[in-house]
Amino acid sequence: MRDVLRNPVGVVGLVLLTIVIGAALFGPWLAPYDPQLFHARSRLQGPSAEFWLGTDQYGRDLMSRILHGAPSTVFFGLGATALGVGVGSVIGVVAGVAGGKIDSIIMRVLDGLLAMPELLFTLLIVTFLGGGTTQAMLAVAVTFAPGMARIARSSVLSVRTREYVMAAIARGESRAWIVGREVLPNAVGPIIVEATIRVSFAIMIGATLGFLGLGAQPPSTEWGLMVAEARQFMFRNPWCVVVPGVAIAITAMGFNLFGDALRDAFDPKRNRS
Amino acid sequence: MTDFTLKRRHVLMGLGALGALTTLGLPGGAAAQTPKTGGTLRISHSTRIATLNVLSLSGPAEYPCIDMIYSGLTRIGLDSKVQPDLATHWDASDDAKEFVFHLREGVKFHDGTPFTAEDVVATYTAILNPDVPAAARSVLTMIEKVEALDPLKVKFTLKTPFADLPTSTAHANARIISKAALAAPLTELDTKANGTGPFKLEVYDSARMVRLVKNPDYYQPGKPYLDAVEMMLFPDLAAESANFLSGATDVMLTVQQAEFARIAAAAGIEAKRVASGRYVCVVMRQDQKPWDDVRVRKALALSTDRDLLVEVILEGLGRPAYDSIVAPEIAYATEKPVVPYDPEAARKLLAEAGYPDGIKATLVASDRPGIRVQTAIALKQSAAAGGFDLTIETMPHDTYLANVWMKGGFYIGYWGMQPTIDATYRLLLTSDASYQDTEWKNAEFDALIEEGRATVDPAKRAEIYAAAQAKELEDVPYIVPFFEDVLTASSTKTEGWQIAPISRYFYVEDVWLDKA
Amino acid sequence: MTLAYLLRRLGAIVIVLAIVTLAVFGITMVLPGNAALMILGEHSTPDSLAAMERLLGLDRPVWVQYGSWVWGVLHGDFGMSLRLSLPVAKVVGDAFWNSAWLALIALVGVTVIAIPLGALAALKRGSAWDLVIGFFSYVGTAMPEFVTATLLLILLASPEWPLFPAGGFVAPSENMAGFLRHVILPAGTLGLILMAHISRQVRSEMADVLSSEYVRAARLKGLRGRRVVWRHALPNAMAPAVAVISLDIGYLLGGIIVVEEIFAWPGLGRTLIYALQNRDLPVIQAITLVLAVVYALSNLLADIVIAWLDPRVRHA
Repeated sequence: MRDVLRNPVGVVGLVLLTIVIGAALFGPWLAPYDPQLFHARSRLQGPSAEFWLGTDQYGRDLMSRILHGAPSTVFFGLGATALGVGVGSVIGVVAGVAGGKIDSIIMRVLDGLLAMPELLFTLLIVTFLGGGTTQAMLAVAVTFAPGMARIARSSVLSVRTREYVMAAIARGESRAWIVGREVLPNAVGPIIVEATIRVSFAIMIGATLGFLGLGAQPPSTEWGLMVAEARQFMFRNPWCVVVPGVAIAITAMGFNLFGDALRDAFDPKRNRS
Repeated sequence: MTDFTLKRRHVLMGLGALGALTTLGLPGGAAAQTPKTGGTLRISHSTRIATLNVLSLSGPAEYPCIDMIYSGLTRIGLDSKVQPDLATHWDASDDAKEFVFHLREGVKFHDGTPFTAEDVVATYTAILNPDVPAAARSVLTMIEKVEALDPLKVKFTLKTPFADLPTSTAHANARIISKAALAAPLTELDTKANGTGPFKLEVYDSARMVRLVKNPDYYQPGKPYLDAVEMMLFPDLAAESANFLSGATDVMLTVQQAEFARIAAAAGIEAKRVASGRYVCVVMRQDQKPWDDVRVRKALALSTDRDLLVEVILEGLGRPAYDSIVAPEIAYATEKPVVPYDPEAARKLLAEAGYPDGIKATLVASDRPGIRVQTAIALKQSAAAGGFDLTIETMPHDTYLANVWMKGGFYIGYWGMQPTIDATYRLLLTSDASYQDTEWKNAEFDALIEEGRATVDPAKRAEIYAAAQAKELEDVPYIVPFFEDVLTASSTKTEGWQIAPISRYFYVEDVWLDKA
Repeated sequence: MTLAYLLRRLGAIVIVLAIVTLAVFGITMVLPGNAALMILGEHSTPDSLAAMERLLGLDRPVWVQYGSWVWGVLHGDFGMSLRLSLPVAKVVGDAFWNSAWLALIALVGVTVIAIPLGALAALKRGSAWDLVIGFFSYVGTAMPEFVTATLLLILLASPEWPLFPAGGFVAPSENMAGFLRHVILPAGTLGLILMAHISRQVRSEMADVLSSEYVRAARLKGLRGRRVVWRHALPNAMAPAVAVISLDIGYLLGGIIVVEEIFAWPGLGRTLIYALQNRDLPVIQAITLVLAVVYALSNLLADIVIAWLDPRVRHA
């Protein structure tokens, strides 16, 4: 962690992340209004003392909607990534540890799945599952799993030939013990780094699905959906698309920067920027 | 049955062919000027013209095309009344079970073949054939037999009396197709068109443009004024309005509510609001709780802030409606009492009905068109004060059509205007309605509609239909929060551009361009 | 990089494609509703729906539908669009070229701008240039296409200041200037994110190479700075950049779906969304196939190019 803080990229990332996670945890309590409340007389307004970030086409307070949308947006990213990384890592570790035929079959299947452009793959899955937050989360997780499996497998493979593993094998330790005590703890670094960066992808894909009408559904305060709903009005009141758009960018950037700093901290060879 | 012993009366003789034509389509201001001929009218639209199959199409930009290419026996005027088209006049038997349509002489299809009674018989036989996907069938099911008496006379024999048959024959999808075209594979109708209308199909490119050219043999002498009409597809609304405002197109078929004010304010543009009977309705299935109780339905009606909905969803471009699906423009419509926004009264009604803590319900809305979801969102807010805790479930249109439409207990419907009160009620509310989705079945109401069909005398019909509308208001089978205006715009150089409130008839043959 | 290897890769691609079409077909069949219901919408009645299904051939058993589709494709016939009254080959063919133009302009523009920018950042590490380029690349990667696109629209295409059209398409064969005006915003949106990826990659690879021994050796031999960069450092940094570009083609194929939808660009992405909404299966199948083929081939091509660029692989 100290390495991360010594890196300016990491500091900025950490600051952004703190803001975003703070909003996700406390946003709903900080919001000045009910995010669904119509202020019919104050539709499509810019920022004012009454509405700090302006209002949307129904006269709903944008500030309150952003704050209420923060938890769902952030937890969508975390949830989808955790799911994808979890499933992917299990598959990857199994392939890496088992080796041989099982390994090559798993890798062939993964190659097949990776042969589809990511968003197209997600889009087809969501079409199949039907729109909605849970479905979108599952779709992103499924899309992430093959890539994560590859990374997990390669980090297991790189650890497998290290001396301490060799030593454990020579000591006659059981296979499960070796995997649990020696291989996993040492392979987990790259997985965490990759996962942090993936969170920002997950948030962006989630928002994109919301934008396309395939993710969160109205009257949800999910940020991508907010942009989609207000698009018709973007020239009348730019705030109602700029505010959620910038919120998405800040969140994704927070995870991105933090992930990069983590990677540098884990991998001293790259740590020279 | 070739022998007519029944006493016959001419239902519409007063509006004889010539009399009707001169009053059609020309708004007051334009009538003073002499129309100029020539020029190409460029109409922009933002939904695809995916097919020209007149039997089954239903796209907003597809209707103007078939209105230009084809003619029907009858047509609905800008005043929402039935007008002659290929039939110059018609006779009905007193029991409204037999109709004879007298066809216009000397009309030719675009390929030069003459139009005869045989084409009418072939078209209606196709429409009534269950193997053919035909949108007009649902309003013509009462037809038992269609026969040609001579080349210019067609007789319709009905199973049940139906005084409004000439309105049903005006259905946009009941345009006359040539006998030869109907003998060919029906899929050819998708891309080829041989009609009797004022314009002929020249280019059909569903991805970009449909170009129609003047039919010099059109039956109205001197019309159409235009040499050609181009239907130009703009898949993007912003691009569409930018091109229209810059003069690259002459007519914007549909203007979005959000843009109407800006376009109306632009110089050289005439934006039009046509009060229409298009409406959103809240479907409440009455064979299940809690909607089986009329007090619950009335409570929801009282919890609907109609003025707010008109303001927020329609940008004020519509009128509040008070839970009748019959728009004021439709003949025999009665004045509907205002339903106030009164959440207090709604809570009381709910308590009386046994729901002192209010009602939780899931309201389903398809994602297309957007107005459904918008209505759901606004209704959720408005109804909360009245004790309704609504959860909104939005879904893709295909899932909605397959799983919820006609099946669900509580969802948002969206319907276009129908030409008659009979068609309006038979679409949704009679027990045998085409799309009976409320399970509101009322024998007295059914009997009234049946009686209205068989009655020819207008005064009597007015009485009957007033009673039917009173029944509807009494039971609140649907919440109808508003009627949406039809919005269109044309350049000031475009004279005579009109849309009928029912938005399926356009009378483009009357349009002309005032260009040097 | 032998012929056998190439054949094996191509064989794998064919298998993947077969699985993809089967999956897409299966998914569409399992979903409620079908193209006939979408055409008739809320005007459908049970008998008109049945009639429409017969007309479109949707009443046939599932395996017959799939079999006849595969048979047609193997004979070069992609069938008719269920919704658009046009042959699929025409619908998808037109859309393909429109997308290809857009993607190509974005890709070429980006490559020309991003590689020098990345190199610049690496050469002047820690300078203001480096910081600015770094900042934009972080912002670029953190904005989904729809946010970038919306911001560009507000800034450059508002009704008051319409520097560029807010959307739409003009065929280059009809009006080249019009085409270019329309292509700039969508291509710019795609480009911004690509640029961020590629310039960052080039920068870090350049930095590696510049500090490597043989560049230092070249400097010691007295070669001038610019010559070192162009003859030694950049080519060696290119191989990873090509790898990133090829990965970005996958991204591009996804990004194009969103960008085309926003800018109403009549390409594969927009057509795909229209087909998905209308359950136009033959069109969905054809577009998925085209996208998968392009993706697979670009991956293969990238592997070949990398092998050719990278001296270690070449001499191995």
